[in-house]
Order: sequence, then structure tokens, then C-alpha cells
Amino acid sequence: MPADAVASARAADTGDAGAGDAGARGWLQRHLSKLVVAPSFAAALIFFYGFILWTVIISLTGSRMLPSYEIVGFENYVNIWRLSRWETAVENLFLFGVLFMGLSMALGCLLAVLLDQRIRAEGALRTIYLYPMAISYIVTGTAWKWLLDPGIGLEKAMHDLGWTGFAFNWINDPDMAIYTIVLAAVWQASGFVMAMVLAALRGVDDEIIKAAWLDGASLANIYRRIIIPTIRPVFLSAFVILMHLAIKTFDLVMALTAAGPGTATSVPATFMYDMAFQRDRLDFAATSAVMMLATVAAIIVPYLYSEIRSGKRG
Amino acid sequence: MANLPAQAAADTLGARLGRVALYAALGLFALFYLMPMLVMIATSLKDVEEIRSGSLLAWPQSVSLDAWRYAWSEACIGVECTGLAPYFRNSVLMAVPAVLLSSLFGALNGYALTKWRFRGANVVFGMLLFGSFIPFQVVLLPMSQTLGFLGLASSVPGLVLVHTVYGIAFTTLFFRNYYVTLPDDLVKAATIDGAGFFTIFWRIILPLSPSIIVVTVIWQFTQIWNDFLFGASFTSGGAQPVTVALNNLVNTTTGVKLYNVDMAAAIIAALPTLLVYIVAGRYFVRGLTAGSVKG
Amino acid sequence: MAHLEVRNVRKSFGDTHVLKGISLDLAGGEFLVLLGPSGCGKSTLLNMIAGLDSITDGEIVIDGRVVNAVHPKNRDIAMVFQSYALYPNMTVKKNIAFGLEMRGVPADERARLIAKTSALLQIDHLLDRKPAQLSGGQRQRVAMGRALVRDPKIFLFDEPLSNLDAKLRVDMRTEIKKLHGRLGTTIVYVTHDQIEAMTLATQIAVMRGGVIEQLAPPQDVYETPANMYVGGFVGSPPMNFVPATVVDQGNGLGVRFRCAANGGDGDVVLPLADPAAAAQWKDREVVFGLRPEALTDYNEAEASIREHAHAFDCRVDVLEPTGADTLTYVELGGSTAIARVNPRRTTRPGDTMRLMADMSHASLFDPSTERRI
Repeated sequence: MPADAVASARAADTGDAGAGDAGARGWLQRHLSKLVVAPSFAAALIFFYGFILWTVIISLTGSRMLPSYEIVGFENYVNIWRLSRWETAVENLFLFGVLFMGLSMALGCLLAVLLDQRIRAEGALRTIYLYPMAISYIVTGTAWKWLLDPGIGLEKAMHDLGWTGFAFNWINDPDMAIYTIVLAAVWQASGFVMAMVLAALRGVDDEIIKAAWLDGASLANIYRRIIIPTIRPVFLSAFVILMHLAIKTFDLVMALTAAGPGTATSVPATFMYDMAFQRDRLDFAATSAVMMLATVAAIIVPYLYSEIRSGKRG
Repeated sequence: MANLPAQAAADTLGARLGRVALYAALGLFALFYLMPMLVMIATSLKDVEEIRSGSLLAWPQSVSLDAWRYAWSEACIGVECTGLAPYFRNSVLMAVPAVLLSSLFGALNGYALTKWRFRGANVVFGMLLFGSFIPFQVVLLPMSQTLGFLGLASSVPGLVLVHTVYGIAFTTLFFRNYYVTLPDDLVKAATIDGAGFFTIFWRIILPLSPSIIVVTVIWQFTQIWNDFLFGASFTSGGAQPVTVALNNLVNTTTGVKLYNVDMAAAIIAALPTLLVYIVAGRYFVRGLTAGSVKG
Repeated sequence: MAHLEVRNVRKSFGDTHVLKGISLDLAGGEFLVLLGPSGCGKSTLLNMIAGLDSITDGEIVIDGRVVNAVHPKNRDIAMVFQSYALYPNMTVKKNIAFGLEMRGVPADERARLIAKTSALLQIDHLLDRKPAQLSGGQRQRVAMGRALVRDPKIFLFDEPLSNLDAKLRVDMRTEIKKLHGRLGTTIVYVTHDQIEAMTLATQIAVMRGGVIEQLAPPQDVYETPANMYVGGFVGSPPMNFVPATVVDQGNGLGVRFRCAANGGDGDVVLPLADPAAAAQWKDREVVFGLRPEALTDYNEAEASIREHAHAFDCRVDVLEPTGADTLTYVELGGSTAIARVNPRRTTRPGDTMRLMADMSHASLFDPSTERRI
């Protein structure tokens, strides 16, 4: 009875959790649901939206070490671009984001497709590919920092093995250090893409694949023409999540390069932290945070909107 | 693709070579993912001399747990030479209540928002949901001020508050998406049977939730344990969680660099979440996908 | 044995009116079936009686007490859901006991009532199983047991049989009827299956678009439908509707319509059994309604004993044998009509056949309002 179901769903939407007894107990019963959600909603209003507003306000002031509330307008949003450090941070984020997302997607998809070929020990391999996602970025950073240290890590290991020409000192090279962050981040997150894509591959209707097989399509063609278009939504989801991770990237940079050498691997998240807690420039800290939020919102809001809309359609 | 017809794996030489190449590729990738962890473990079991003279990739000649002991109870973090132990304790004291509280709130919210919908329930959910995507940088400054007002600056209870509040967005999403699949008729039937809001939650809904509870608890535990941003921003000295302490330990520049201690400390910090992952990896994966797909 | 009254009840969501003023008065012990298609508001009405949906306007009265603001648990009703809504985490025994427990019935009394109910429904051997381990029919019985055990004033059934396969549905239907006979409790039962409605009900309320089109005992609904909608919804195959004109034949009024026969196209006039009722409609267009079983093959013996049986010739279009009868499609007055014909007396499609209409079962409808004349 779909229509009746719609009616009762609508009943629920219009504040209709059923009739209750009159009196105080009845009132409590009718409103219990709202009362239960109220603390979380209040927390969201204060700690999410109130704080965002607060940060926006700080970004419009000339706050230094302590917040001041004299509005100076949007000049921080102009002046921040005069800081070479911010420029570096934005450039790095762009470079890092594109490489991180592209490589994680490519590697994750490759692993998922390889694992999807009726592999023995698939469970064990999946566990191995995904475990970095369970550990802290700080641990990841510590491990890779050490591996990438030319004096002690991989470079030295290769020299010890007799390959003395081997040079891998990106971590100390201001021009190359950002790529070490890409490397460690891809190591950490590609398993996640693998898990999502593999789950989607397993959800593809077997009969469609059998039909394509009977139609004489090759394995490569089946993937390219049938499977990948079918699981396109999962790419979008993975993409959004990765982008979100990229913009928030902080821990890994702090642990791996501490934004160095110099400020070569600054990203907006480390810039914000540095301005807020080291340099006493709350105005720039708030300004950079607001710009990060705006970037995330520009990606997430349309995504959530389309997700919720398609959810309603289905 | 698990069910391709049999001729897919036709028994030709080419197909066999293909399988060999496939397994070789998978093996190499496995090595890529495992290598940092293996090297860390090996290094943590070596002594400093062996690290300097021997190969990075070699297994320790004499296994020694000295570095672990030192990292746990003696290593200097900042000026305090207490090892990771007290910070590890901080992380436990922070993560356990924050995980329990945020999961409890999430379960109640999810239940109320799906089974007792009220006018505006979707707006409330949407506003909570957006919270799971906020880059936390945007709340750092007001939060640190607020913790100061509340007298919770640089304290473990302060971190519990922060993680609970920002965890609710995720936990509500998880529980809401699960409870939306439970039939509404259950709640109607129980209402007619005479059960109220909390009785239905306790007697009917919660007993149906073990899997989503495990997913949520694992997700929250991993997130909170691994957090660095809040810990670094809101605590200093003795109140720091283990991730912050680890970073300080590794970046302490005084004295001889004890790589084996760094590695032991890193593994200690990673151990709880790694253990959870190994024991309940299935639920961990479900959390990852549940947290990402579908709003 | 509760008396249930619904007084001009309305339900609206903003501008959408789901129920547009429903009234009914049900004596204790009656079995009321709310019958209608999806979206007609029947489940909403049932939920409102249960107290699961609020009432926009009007009153619901049980045994003289207005229950609009009474919580479902205090209305002394029990409900069986389409999905059964058995608590998956509890055994059958606990499922049945839950309502009693919530009402503070002591444990030994609960045990006694469960034993009694499970014996009645023959589910004693299932008491320690979980719902997932039961078949569809067993779940259905447990759902009924959960309702029965509380001995409520009113039972509410929301399409309880629609998830069962055809054979089980017939068995359970009989069983529900027996239970009602034994317990005599007032029942409100929602379904879209008109056969269920006919077999179970003592009163049927045919609903459409948030209003009750007709409220009457099943046989009345069947024989004298209040309008063309009811005539078409109840009965399978539905009532035939033939566009016709009321004409004066000299010795009384009749209905005239066109019908192809013997290679030509001719007019048929059938005399009305109750001409007085149609007096005002002389020379006007009407819709003439006749149940398929009142349109049969011509049989001289039967024609002679039935006062209002009249024969006419008509060309046969399609034949659908069903075993007991052959459904014979003919075109009357430009619309398709179905006759129930004895399988031994059928003809071939395209041939002309002599049919017999029993005009004592005829209905006339106003073509503009579709109401019964």
C-alpha cells in the first residue's frame, strides 16, 4: 500500500507521533522525541554553527594574540594573499589534492579490480591493503619520515645493498618534499578507495555481466563498458571523501615534515594552526579557516543535496 | 565478477601466465603496504648500534625489548621523562567516555529522528549531518576560548567534551541510517502493547542494534584515538593524548636520536586501533563505507 | 463487545485531505471491513482508531467515551499488522507476553494466558522460537496470538493476509472468521481484497478518496451497490455497465441498448422489474448495471420459472473458460459486458448466442453522478 505508507510518512513529518493522553504526562510523551534530540541539536547550534559564526567574526577583526571584536571588514581576506606562506599553502593544497586524489583513486581501483579476479587469500590481502586506514596519521608520518630520511632510511638501505647511485632525498628538498606527503597519504588512503570500489563491484548484478559475457565482450570491455559505468556513484562518493580528507590534511604534514623544510610543505591547515597557536595572528587563522570551510561547503553541499534528493527518489 | 562463467579461466598457457602476473602484482602491493610496518617493528627490536651499522631491511640479529620499555616509561617528551605511559592513559581516559557518550547520543538521536519523527526532523538531521563535514579548523579558536571559560582548558575532560560534541554528527548519521531500515510497524505494535519511548528503545530497538553499535564504537574509537588536531590545539604538557606525545617525542631534538625508541613509541600509539582493526576489520570497513556513502 | 463510533472524522496534511469526513457506527460484535484501493485512506482511518495517527477533526468514540486524546495503550485495542511486526529479538512467547508485561500482568497469569492463547491458535510448539525461524503462516498466527492474548475490546487488522500465499490466505481467512464467531469481539479489518471483505464482514465500508462510498452488509453492497464505483469494485468479474435509454414499451418501462447479432446491429429492449423507480427517467439515458451471473445462457426451463428473465440474441467476442463457468464477452450498448455461461452451452467467438438477463437483479445508475437510481 504505497500511498497509505506515504500518508503515514507524511503524518510523521507533520508532527504526528500519534495521539497521547492529555495532561502533563501526555505532553511529555508527545514531545519526548524532541526533548531527546534537543541537547544534540543545541550542541550543534552552538558548537557547529555558533562557532563558525564566531570564527567568521574573528576573521573580520584585527585580532592578534587574543580575540578583539573591532570589525575591520574584509581586509584580512585581501591581506592574507600577500603572505607568501599562504600562497605556498594554497598551491601545495592544490598540488597535493590533485595528486593525492588521483593516485589514491587509481591505486584503489586497480587493487579492487585485481582483487575481484577470484583471488585466493583475498581476505588477508584486503586486510593488508586497508590497515593503514586504522592507524593515526602521526604514526604514518613517523614511519615514513624515517623511511624517507636519506641518512638512515631507504636511500641508505639501497647504498648498503651496493646501489650507491640511488638518491632519494625528497624530504629534505623544498621543491620535492610535498611529494613525500603525497606518497604517505596515498599509502594510507588508497586501501579505503579499494574497499569502497570492491564493495561496489560486488554489488553489480551478476546477470548483467553474464549477459555481456554471452554477447562476446572481453573482460576489459566488460569493466570499461558495463561495470565502471554501473558503479559510478561510488567514485563520486570516494572522490568527495578524499577531497574532504585532503583539505583537512594536518596531522600527516606535522608528523612528516612539520610543514618544512622551511615552509615548503605548508598547507592551509598547518597555516591556520601556526597562525593561531604559534604566531598570535588570530585574524589570519580565522580567515584561513573560513576559506577552508567555504571550500569544503562548495563541494559537500551540492553532493549532500544530490544524495538526499536521489535518496528520496529511490 | 566472482561468478564469471567457467571459460573465463580457460586453462591455457596465457591464462596461467596471467594468473601468475596477477598474484605477483598483488604480492608486490602487499609488500608496499606492509613494508613500513615491518620495518618499524624490526627497528624497534634492534639496538641503536645495529640500526646505524646494519641494513634497514634486515631482521634484528638479537631481539631486544629495551626500546619498548624505554618508550613506554622513560623516554623524554618535552622536559618530562616519563615515557608514553601517562599519555597513553590520557588517551584511554579521553577515548572511552567520549566514545560511549557520543554513541549513546547518536543512538538516541537516530531512534528519535526515524521512529518518532517530528516537524523539522529532517532539518535537524541535515544540520547534524553537515557537522560531520566541517573542517575542524573553523571551530578551533572559539573552542579553545570556550574550554577556557569552562575551566576545561588543557584537560582530559575538555577533550572528552570536544570529541563527544563533534562525534555526535557521525554517530547520529550511522544510527539514523540503520534505524531507518527497521520497520515502523515494530514501534506501532509496541506502542499498542503499551510500551513508551524509552521502553521501546531499550527492549526492542537496542536489542536489534548490536552490529551498528559495533560499527559506531569502532569508528568513533579509531577517530578519537587517532586525533591529533584537537589534542595539539587544546592541551599541553601532562594532559596531552598519546598522538601528540608521540609527535613531541619524535621531534625532540636534544641528545642522540633513538630511532628504535621512536618506532616502538609509534607502534605503541598505533596498537589499540590496529588491534581493533585486526579483531573486527569487517565492522571497520562497514564504518568507513557507512560514513562515506549516503547522507 | 465494544461499540465503536466514528463521528465525521477528518485527516489533513496541509492542503492534502486524506479523510474527508468519515462517520460510522458499529455495534458490539460486528466485523467491519474497510475496503478500498491503495491510498483511499483506509489504513489511516485504522491507525486513527488505534491512536497511532492524530485526528485533524471529528471524534472517535469507544463504548461512549471519546478517545481522541487517549494513548493507544489505554484504548483497550489490539492490532495485527500487515508486516506482522513481530519483535525479532524476542521468542514467540515473549512476543505474546510483551503487551501483558507492559500492563503489569503478574508472571503466573501471563503464563496461563499464553498457554490458553497458543493452544487456541495451535502455536504451542513454537513458543521458544524466534520470529526468523517461523514460516509466513506461523508468523501470522503469532501476530494474532499477540493480539488475542490481551482480550481487547476491539481488534484491528491491517491487511493481515496480504503477505501469505494464495492457499494459506484462504485457510487463515476461514480461521479468522471462526475466531470472530467464537470470541464475538468487535473487529475492524482493512483490506483491498473484495473477496476477503465479502467472506469475513458483517459490515463493509467501501472507501475511495477519503470518503465512504457505501456502508452496508456484504450482500447489500453486492446486490444494490450505491454507485457505479462500488458495483465495479466489489465482485469478480465486476458488474457490467451498459449505456442504455429508458423507454416506454406500452406495458411498462424497459431499457434499450444496441447489440450486434445475426450479422446485423439491432436494438434490444429489456423490461424493468421495478418500473416505478425509473418513472422519472423515461426517455433519458441511464447506465444499466447487471452482474455477470444475472446474464447467462438462455435456458427455457429457467426462463419460465423466473418472472423477470428475458432473452435476447448477441454476438460473442471472446470466451474465457474458468471451469465452472465460461466467461463470455459480448458488446452491449457499445461497452464490453461479461456473461456467465454454462460451459456445455457455449458457442464460438463470432457466432450469435441467445442470452438471458435476470432483470430482478438489475441496477440503474445516473450517468452524470454515477449514483444508483
